[in-house]
Amino acid sequence: MENNKTKMERFDWTLAFILLLFFIISCIAISSGQTDSRYDTNFFAQQIFWYGIGAFIIAGALLFDPDQYKKLSWYLYGFGLLMLIFLYFAPESIARPRNGAKSWFNTPVGSLQPSEFMKTFLILAVSRLIVDHHQKYIRKTLKSDLFLLVKIGVTFLVPLIFIALQPDLGTGLVYIAIMLGMILVSGISWKIILPTFSIAAIIGGVLIFIMLYLPHLLQDFIGQHVGKHAFERIYSWLDPYSYPSDEGYHLISSLQAIGSGEIFGKGYMGKEVFIPERHTDFIFTVIAEEYGFIGASIVISLYFLLIYHLIKIALETKSPFNAYIIAGIISMTTFHVFENIGMTIQLLPITGIPLPFLSYGGSSLMGNMLAIGIVFSIKFYHKKYMFSSEEDE
Amino acid sequence: MKKKQKRKKKSHVPVRMNILFFIVFLLFSVLILRLGIVQIVQGENYRKQVEQTDEISVSSAVPRGEIYDRNYEKIAYNTPRKAITYTPTINPQPKELLEVAKKLTELIDMGDDKEKVTTRELKDLWLLENNRGDEKVTEEEKRNLNDKEIYQLKLSRITEEDLKEVDLNLASIYWKLYRAPALTPSIVKNEGVTDEEYALVSEHLSDLPGVDITIDWEREKTYDKTFHLLGSVKNIPAEKANYYTSMGYKLNDRVGTSYLEEMLEQVLQGQKSVVKTVTDRSGNVVDTEILSEGKSGYDVVLTIDMELQAEVEKIIQEEILTMIEYPNTETFDSAFVVVMNPKTGEILTLAGKQYNREEKDFIDYSNGTFTYAFVPGSVVKGATVLMGYETGVISAGTVLRDEVMRFKGNVTISSVSTMGSITDLKALERSSNVYMAKIALAIAGGTYTPGGPLIIDTSQIDVMRKYFAQFGLGVETGIGFPNEATGIKGTVKATEPGSLLYYGFGQLDTYTPIQLAQYVSTIANGGYRMKPQLVKEIREPNTNSDELGPIVEEFKPVVLNRVDMKEEWIDRVKEGFWLVTHGSQGTARYYFANEPYDLAGKTGTAQTYDGKGRRTENLTFVGFAPYDDPEVAIAVVAPNAYFEGTRSRYSIANVISRRVLRTYFDLKEKRMKEDVEQSDTSTTEDEEINVTEED
Repeated sequence: MENNKTKMERFDWTLAFILLLFFIISCIAISSGQTDSRYDTNFFAQQIFWYGIGAFIIAGALLFDPDQYKKLSWYLYGFGLLMLIFLYFAPESIARPRNGAKSWFNTPVGSLQPSEFMKTFLILAVSRLIVDHHQKYIRKTLKSDLFLLVKIGVTFLVPLIFIALQPDLGTGLVYIAIMLGMILVSGISWKIILPTFSIAAIIGGVLIFIMLYLPHLLQDFIGQHVGKHAFERIYSWLDPYSYPSDEGYHLISSLQAIGSGEIFGKGYMGKEVFIPERHTDFIFTVIAEEYGFIGASIVISLYFLLIYHLIKIALETKSPFNAYIIAGIISMTTFHVFENIGMTIQLLPITGIPLPFLSYGGSSLMGNMLAIGIVFSIKFYHKKYMFSSEEDE
Repeated sequence: MKKKQKRKKKSHVPVRMNILFFIVFLLFSVLILRLGIVQIVQGENYRKQVEQTDEISVSSAVPRGEIYDRNYEKIAYNTPRKAITYTPTINPQPKELLEVAKKLTELIDMGDDKEKVTTRELKDLWLLENNRGDEKVTEEEKRNLNDKEIYQLKLSRITEEDLKEVDLNLASIYWKLYRAPALTPSIVKNEGVTDEEYALVSEHLSDLPGVDITIDWEREKTYDKTFHLLGSVKNIPAEKANYYTSMGYKLNDRVGTSYLEEMLEQVLQGQKSVVKTVTDRSGNVVDTEILSEGKSGYDVVLTIDMELQAEVEKIIQEEILTMIEYPNTETFDSAFVVVMNPKTGEILTLAGKQYNREEKDFIDYSNGTFTYAFVPGSVVKGATVLMGYETGVISAGTVLRDEVMRFKGNVTISSVSTMGSITDLKALERSSNVYMAKIALAIAGGTYTPGGPLIIDTSQIDVMRKYFAQFGLGVETGIGFPNEATGIKGTVKATEPGSLLYYGFGQLDTYTPIQLAQYVSTIANGGYRMKPQLVKEIREPNTNSDELGPIVEEFKPVVLNRVDMKEEWIDRVKEGFWLVTHGSQGTARYYFANEPYDLAGKTGTAQTYDGKGRRTENLTFVGFAPYDDPEVAIAVVAPNAYFEGTRSRYSIANVISRRVLRTYFDLKEKRMKEDVEQSDTSTTEDEEINVTEED
């Protein structure tokens, strides 16, 4: 039993401070962003509520140590998968589709998006999988690495199918990003990673080339109807002024908002450009417009600081399991940030995924808090491990 | 073993972790770099785009064209009236609107509009005023339901008591503001704006963003109760909203909603003025610029003679009141008159009235002249005789025997009286049913033997209908109203072939008054079926209110078809019609023989049923005058005039015809005198007055 003081010491105050900063930024941005909203809800107050819930989730996550997470990992994975399967078959009375995607349960607490929690469960399960694999195949061979790659791939593919069925492109991409990050860290030989990644990159590059210069080929292949929407999305990204679709308009507004923020921004509530859904996926436009390049850079730096802190914890911890978890969380957070901010500044096409910790949204915030909660747990319990492992040595 | 394993892992995890961190670093650097390009390099450019404002073209209505009658008397026009308008920004927030509404409610009274506010509208406003009605739902419900469901729940929980708090005047104003389309000046109040209200609002304009005072137009009619078919102008009806908005109308525009105003909408509406409104990104109006001035709608001159129309409507009402004093007229309540120029097809009068015995009041039934078809009776005999000539079954002067025709199977056809051997002319003069039945019998290939079977080719009814159609009977006349009726074609059953014979004297198919007018005009003008026209001229809007603008389009008479019959045959039927009104045995001799305008015509009595299934008779009359050179044709119908067989002494159709024609010629004479007076420059005003007094 540790005394209170030790507990205080073991708690990751730096991480908590970073979260506090996100909380403050989120509140400021949402309070300004929600004035563009046409909904009745006071999202500002709601977000404070969700952060409160998030604090409880972190506290809850601290009740378990990483060893327990390791034991629980496959059950959590199974549970998450069941939720996704259930969501797919659930009647619309409890899973009402929004904007054509059936991604949410309607629960008494609010709407719940299982795929947000599944991310963390998946990270736990794959971490366990990698650790188990390395324990079993102590001597790494190309063959065993390839087997690991296949195992990781399959573990990701199963939930990914149900995400694709919702359909939810953004979350699907997040899963793929987590997978890539974890494959990288899993220790699979470069001899496998480099060719695999290169082939994937080449296929992707060729697809983009065909799409841009020989669009009819691709369109004939994937079918006129399905293709049309994807094409419009790509074209409205590359040239929003010529494709004034909803997304094109969204992108133009977003660029105007961010660009007109210039270096110093327009100040709190100073935004001039109207952008729909500004409190959720486009929250970054509020920050960049009102606080300029400086404010936006600070926010990006804060994410970088968070990831730096996570890397530090990963390197401090002696447990590979913990390191894999953190690698997964880093991949997840990085992709969210890169895609979300990237889409607002025309770096990537517009996809509906939120900015972690800042966008309004219960499920997303709780999912992220759960992941961060596990990091808290790693930090909280890792000294004990260090001692014990040192004792071992 | 364990150590070895750990060393192995240590060998890859930190390195791979650092590679991951490096990738993250690269990605974030790309973000910062791109952000720098957008915000610093291109920042000024985007700022200019934002400041550079939106341009939106807004069109606003121009005065509607005016309508004149054939004598250039203004019958529909616009009068200016004070109006209070509201022009919303692009995304007006309900709270801003409420604020403006609260200020306005102190200044103006919405009058009748207050009563039009719906309960739902009151509830919505109550929620807006009461902090979205948060106390109406529990926290638990808020969690369990989505925004829409919560709103519905709140709405359902607002009590009558709550609604009493809502000021109706405020509600009425608020919803007017709420419904105004962005950047388009919309009327808040234009009916009964008092001078005081106008002045008050004008003083407070600076406190009332978007509110303005202006002059609006109101459609007025010179003759309020006369010529219902002029139609009305109202706000775009909900069921036609899509149609009009696709034509570029705004939802708050006023359009012709019935009859001529609706039919002539395109002509009368004019081109809207287009104003370019420049707004900044917040939707504030920065500048306005007129792109096109717009153009008032064209003025329209109708063929209708309003003075005659008004008189005719009066005559119909008076005659209906006279008629119902006679016995056995319980089924009678309405009468129709069509007056047209047989040579040009110009319609001078379209009138119909229906008397409500309980309310002791008349309602306008002028649309019945083209929507109400009835059994016409003997008026169609002119067409029957012409059909006889054309098919060769009779020729000019053919003598047939008017007898009581009895066929096997109890089919009996007789005339009013048995006339013996008569010529075609006599058959028209005395209105012989038997003569006409014999023409129809011959066309259908039958022969008459008393008591013998009636064996005919019943399909010949279609041939006969084709001949009648040449006169406009049973087909669209071309008057242009969208709901024109063409009448019901009676069936000729093989078991009842006799009904084919009835067709010959107008006892089978039904026709509208306008069809009868076209038919008699066709005979009057020598065989040309004229398209009935209501519009005479379209003119540029008048700049000077006393003068008409120049003619844009003048309507020419349109011949729809020339009947197949030779002109000499038509002349013979005209002669027959003249005998009806002048011959020693003419059925309408009593009414017209001594009239100065030399009328030729044909009477009709038809056995029919009224709406309640009672056996009645229709009274009809068609005619044209003067006989030598017809300038006016008339069709009069008095349906269900009395119970069948109780023939009243009062031939209302003939009486109405006589009074209408007298009025027509009196008016003509009066106007000629006036013209003479006006052209005579030496005439003094006094003398002019004397002349009118003499009239």
